[in-house]
Amino acid sequence: MKSAAATLVDRFWESAASHADSLAIADSAHRISYRQLSELVDKVGGYLLSTGLQKGDRVAMVVANSAEYAGIFYGIWAAGGVTVALNTQAKARDIFNWVTHSDARWLFIDHNHPERKAIAEAGAGLTLVDVGGEEAGDAKDRRVAWQEVLECDASGPQIELRQTDLASIIYTSGTTGHPKGVTLSHGNLYANIESILAYLELSAGDSILNVLPFYYSYGNSILHTHLTIGAALILENSLLYPHRVMEKMAAEAVSGFSGVPSTFALLLSRVNLEDYDLSKLRYITQAGGAMAPALADRLATALPHTELFIMYGQTEASARLTYLPPSMLDKKRGSIGKAIANTTIEVRNKAGEIAAPGETGEICAHGDNIMQGYWKDEEKTDQVLKDGWLYTGDLAHTDSDGYLYIDGRSSDMIKSGANRISPKEIEEVIQEIADVQEVAVVGSPDELLGEVIKAYVVPKKGSDLKQMTIQHHCKNNLAIYKIPKSIEFIKELPKTASGKIQKFMLK
Amino acid sequence: MSTEAIIRNYILENYLFTDDQSALNSTDSFLDKDILDSTGILEVIYFLEDEFGIKVEDTEMVPENLDSVNNIVSFIAKKRP
Repeated sequence: MKSAAATLVDRFWESAASHADSLAIADSAHRISYRQLSELVDKVGGYLLSTGLQKGDRVAMVVANSAEYAGIFYGIWAAGGVTVALNTQAKARDIFNWVTHSDARWLFIDHNHPERKAIAEAGAGLTLVDVGGEEAGDAKDRRVAWQEVLECDASGPQIELRQTDLASIIYTSGTTGHPKGVTLSHGNLYANIESILAYLELSAGDSILNVLPFYYSYGNSILHTHLTIGAALILENSLLYPHRVMEKMAAEAVSGFSGVPSTFALLLSRVNLEDYDLSKLRYITQAGGAMAPALADRLATALPHTELFIMYGQTEASARLTYLPPSMLDKKRGSIGKAIANTTIEVRNKAGEIAAPGETGEICAHGDNIMQGYWKDEEKTDQVLKDGWLYTGDLAHTDSDGYLYIDGRSSDMIKSGANRISPKEIEEVIQEIADVQEVAVVGSPDELLGEVIKAYVVPKKGSDLKQMTIQHHCKNNLAIYKIPKSIEFIKELPKTASGKIQKFMLK
Repeated sequence: MSTEAIIRNYILENYLFTDDQSALNSTDSFLDKDILDSTGILEVIYFLEDEFGIKVEDTEMVPENLDSVNNIVSFIAKKRP
């Protein structure tokens, strides 16, 4: 039966009503049912409304994957707010940058987050909710203990949401002054989740072991596909110990698992999949960059009864744009498939015409899942949204049957593991070191992660700059995955006659 | 140099990017303190295999053996009787 709901929040309330006693989320601390999760959503929503949230207000969160994450996220929506879920690996400076840019008035932050104290001390004007903690402040510094939210005497905020209302801002980079915040409406997310549910054929009986962060669009789509249909999310927040991940997957008898190419490369490098009972594993999804066909073959051999969905998408498209049906995996090796339902894809050449089969062009997409634009940045929005089409910056060609094959990227974003990284963010931080004359950051090929970060640094004359000094400064100011793996000192950067750095010469 | 000193120096130099010994306690959890990520732990394993001539089995890749300097020191002692 097709749902009459118009937003994912409506769908969540429906799930909570019809699957009240089913498992919603199992994290490292607890296993909670849909009834318990809906109570948490109620409390968070009630708390926000009681503290003055108006429809459309932004509420930021720096919360690791957990039942609390889901409760806060849906609680913000239930109160009519806009979620701004931030990267939990980010340092205080990036978090401030995004919070300021989004004009968020509340920040939910994990009690044990290493940057919490730095933010609490400097977060003037911001109400800081200490998730899982007891730290309440006085009226001046507006710190709120988690218990205060849990004790909130609220009963089901019923704010009417329309599909055109803004639902979420997802920041995809954090350069000073120009953070890129993808704005998604309730209609965008609803349309995309519907399409994903259809091709994965998800139902309330499904459960997934999730290792992907919810603050990225891939993890975000996993959260919503499951919570809107009454399925279960089993959370594992670290891939540090692959053996443990596999034990959990077998013990929980999950039906789904999702990863990026490096997830599978990591698991296959240290784990013998045949050693685990994965007979209930119905499907695997892979997105976040091209997986080498050899790796896909190894997965298929190790899991002969499990369907593998290769997918492609962008945050700007809510999450998903294309998928390759498992039945076509052998016939269309290396392809990312075709457009998902309710989305149209065209490969356009430089003249703006539809490219002929075999001709490389830019992937352009049209559909209800395409973002509203970048938050407070018309110029960047106009560069990628033209006449209702999203210009993805990804280059591809089609074959004679219309299947898409990625050929590269037209932007210089670095793709390392599950992360997309703007070289500019890292260059800005390295440039702060007094002994650095100039710096250029590029992605360097890596078997496991796809790319790793490499910095070319021109030291100031007479300085005694060391690699460790640069990496230490990066460690203090950047998320761990943004620290350059290697640093090369050079006398000058290759430049064009007009002075533009030629990064392609450094790759 | 003691096993502990070798491991401490390796972690300090490659993941904390400092030679300041006070930056790392031997009981600090690499996971909780955000010192290593999933590729970092693999690099540590390759380092241990090279440096101490041991083979880390997949099933030995657990926090009890690898999540702090002290855990690694005990693990190495068990592997090299």
